Amino acid sequence: MQTWKEFDQNVVTHSAAHHLMAIDDLLHRLGYARVSDIARQLNITRGSVSISLQPLKKAQLVLQDENRHLRLSEQGQALVDAIKTKRLVVQRLLAELFAVPVQQAEIDACKLEHLISNDTARQMISLLRFLDARPQAVAEFLAAWRALDPSCGHEPAECPTCETTCMASKVAE
Amino acid sequence: MKALSTDETVQELHRLFAEEVEAAIRYLHLASAVRGVERLFVEPKLREGFHETIQHAEVIARKIRELGSVPQLNLSISLPGESVGAREALETALTFEEAALEAYQDMLRRVEGDVALEEFIRSQIATESEHVGELKQLLAD
Repeated sequence: MQTWKEFDQNVVTHSAAHHLMAIDDLLHRLGYARVSDIARQLNITRGSVSISLQPLKKAQLVLQDENRHLRLSEQGQALVDAIKTKRLVVQRLLAELFAVPVQQAEIDACKLEHLISNDTARQMISLLRFLDARPQAVAEFLAAWRALDPSCGHEPAECPTCETTCMASKVAE
Repeated sequence: MKALSTDETVQELHRLFAEEVEAAIRYLHLASAVRGVERLFVEPKLREGFHETIQHAEVIARKIRELGSVPQLNLSISLPGESVGAREALETALTFEEAALEAYQDMLRRVEGDVALEEFIRSQIATESEHVGELKQLLAD
């Protein structure tokens, strides 16, 4: 399947990820999670929550008892743990390595957290470990990088990265 | 349970208002998206649901105005441009109707003691229960 089509097939959409995380958060804070609690937390209607939960229940990620209390299945919890980890990892890399402002890093991490594969996340964690274990090497690397970055003259012919067009100009501020 | 202040009551009514308006939008979308031979029977039911739900929203809006506030709406809804089968459409309608019914039932517990509001919520529960019952029956047949 083409990669972009996989996004539509993925049961964990952006919205679904937020529902799963809300259940996890409510269970930790209140000890229970109901449709009404999720609706308040996400500031959406109960109808919307109930509809969004349908595919998650069908996929056995969310379970509901006779009192209509929700909980995460083992698989659902593993998914939430993975999403939370990916959010943290992306957030840290964006803020610490790419010097993205913390608030923007949080927003971008929120958009990516449910889309990144575990393989990629493991590599990112490995990079984080390097950042934490070798601060001196990282500082030197960042200094060299920051020194180079302003030298981009938007001239593809003189750029070791771009071929025919300047990539930096395509993602201008 | 502690009685709700007027502000809290209005907040709760805003939530109910959002439930009803969003349900109406969903009914309208489902009525337009439903396909298949059973569409001829189901589409009018969904349109009926749309009109009734809009009426419910109007009733709630009136109640909010009676309490001295202006109805406020904060919706976040995205509906796919894909056709839907009759059964799936009814199941979806049942899901959001049940959610609305639960919202009214919760509200009833919270307004205990306020006779006028209690009566109002009870009458809404009766109507919503009818909707839920009818949808369940349609799905069972």
